[in-house]
Amino acid sequence: MTRRILMISNIIFVVVLIAAWFTNGMGIIRNDVARNIYIPDELIMPLQVKAAYNDGEIFFRYRWPAQKPHIYHDMLKYENGKWVRYGASVAGPQPQGIYEDRVAMLVDDGSVPEFGRYGGYITVGDRMRFFTSEAPTEEVSAHPYLGAKKGQAEVGKHLPATRRDINDWSSVVSEEELSRLRAAGYFLDLWHWRAHRSNPIGKSDDQFVAEARYGDSGKGPFFTNWSAQTKQPLLMFDPQKTGRYALKWSDLAETKLGFDDLYFLREDQAAPFDPNLQWKEGDTIPRRVLRMGEGSRADISVAGKAEWREGFWDVTLVRAMDTGRPLEDKAMVDKGFYTVAFSVHRAASGSRWHYVSLPVSLGLDREAEIIAVPIDGQEPRWEQPWSDVTLFYPGQVSWPSLISSRHAGASFIKEGVPARFRHSERQLARYGVEAEFADEIRRQWLLTMIGGILFIAAYTVAMNLLFWRKRI
Amino acid sequence: MPPYYEIFVRLVAPYHAVLVHFPVAIWTTVALLVFFRAVSDSPLARAGDRILVPILILSVVCAVAAYLSGFMIFPLEAAGTSPLIRNHIVTASWSLAYWMAFLVTRWINGETVWQGPKRWVMLGLALLGTIQIAITGALGGHIAGTPTSMSQVLQWLGWDVYHTFFVPDIILWLMAGAIIALPVLGWWGRRHPG
Repeated sequence: MTRRILMISNIIFVVVLIAAWFTNGMGIIRNDVARNIYIPDELIMPLQVKAAYNDGEIFFRYRWPAQKPHIYHDMLKYENGKWVRYGASVAGPQPQGIYEDRVAMLVDDGSVPEFGRYGGYITVGDRMRFFTSEAPTEEVSAHPYLGAKKGQAEVGKHLPATRRDINDWSSVVSEEELSRLRAAGYFLDLWHWRAHRSNPIGKSDDQFVAEARYGDSGKGPFFTNWSAQTKQPLLMFDPQKTGRYALKWSDLAETKLGFDDLYFLREDQAAPFDPNLQWKEGDTIPRRVLRMGEGSRADISVAGKAEWREGFWDVTLVRAMDTGRPLEDKAMVDKGFYTVAFSVHRAASGSRWHYVSLPVSLGLDREAEIIAVPIDGQEPRWEQPWSDVTLFYPGQVSWPSLISSRHAGASFIKEGVPARFRHSERQLARYGVEAEFADEIRRQWLLTMIGGILFIAAYTVAMNLLFWRKRI
Repeated sequence: MPPYYEIFVRLVAPYHAVLVHFPVAIWTTVALLVFFRAVSDSPLARAGDRILVPILILSVVCAVAAYLSGFMIFPLEAAGTSPLIRNHIVTASWSLAYWMAFLVTRWINGETVWQGPKRWVMLGLALLGTIQIAITGALGGHIAGTPTSMSQVLQWLGWDVYHTFFVPDIILWLMAGAIIALPVLGWWGRRHPG
């Protein structure tokens, strides 16, 4: 009997151990869009980059995998007598697939020293948009500077020194201080290519990050096609130029419209919206209208044609080496050394559901992780090999949390140790996901640890009872 | 934090890396002795067995010291937030538990633990303790910035060490059931020998 019970006890012990091993990590991490939580299936992805420059311009070529291209974005569909919006930013992928792919690049020339060590993490502040703890729109809009003066409605990317208290998004330093910081180059240039809102007209948005994320001065490559007053679009397709008033929703839902079709509304192909037309169920008008842009905001263009082919996007952007706008753009010079960081949005996901890189060094004909090669002609021949960059899903990890006592590496950050020295992209992706479930995981971990200790103790008691009896 | 405690922490924390070598070395040696004793009744194997209790007591004392000093390296809040440190704490706790279980069993039951199938139970406990301490050491290396390929082996076996080790509620309930059932089974077996 004792021998049989010994065997049963051992079987119970081993079965529980095996079950614990193969179920580890389960039961906590799940999507919860009400809390702005959506975990992508893939946590890391590759990006390839090449760069080249001549006397006047610098070119960046990006290539990344995407199962399919997402080139539709933000549409107004006529439904039951009303214009209904599809394609706003949501947690995770947009359910109808109406959200554009994007590639973006932050650039610094050394004026933002932490950026070279921690990349985009330094731009993720307190209560950011689409974090579980995001600041409410009303609160941001009511802020005397960010809301009332700068028209911000959400807490977006910003740099640490633009806040008196990094743990408080609203503690913006004085305007005089902001001006002095900007004059000293304390901002990040942001190249921002979008598959719908800029690509069809061969443009990229030109933005920068300082106390918030702003567009450069001038006009951007798109504007919003919506009248809040009439709750109707402002513009529709000009039938004389395009042969239609609107798109068909079914064409978008079935992704029938490709790169060579009309899936976007250009300002010069638009006409004032006519509410008296016989609008039909499913008529669809883009909520964004494209235009060539003006001024500093229109500095960046697409070189050639940016297209998705055989599972990969291939996008080349070009800008003047020096745009002559030192308060909005980082000028580049021959033999210069810079830091860049990339992000990619794909799979119809927007806002913080992107993949980002750690900071990467860029040298113009100079040793660096990405070496921009000098060229003689107008266009690069791209004969150099690709530079491979690993992108990762960053989760909800903010700069205030990284420099706080909650982060075991906070003392290393204080000492200036770069993120890459201690962390791989795979590790950061995992940590990013865990940060979204911090409290739940801590509780489950504690229960698992204590449960394990008690389980070993119970087994020991059983063994000793059985052994002891046998000894007698 | 009171200043004297801060001074104490600063003095003790660096010794964690030194202290952990004692239990690791002793438990590795013990594991070899246990393996030898499990497969052999020779005088040499028996001689090895006789030193198990004293060196295991020493190892547990060293391990407890190493365990406690480990909590002084990072702020507790940070230790409880970092997946790698959480995992290090879990595996260290379970290593200590396994080897204490081994010590208690050997101490109470004496040389009879090597009779019949009980020797395989002892070998199993030692094996689990050795695996746990190997993982604990590997995680400690990760935290110190010197990762090894052990993490790749663990990932291949189903656990990414950058992911906090925890089990779902259903397994916690299963554990709770086992925590009750195992002593009951032991008591039952003791009451019904044969």
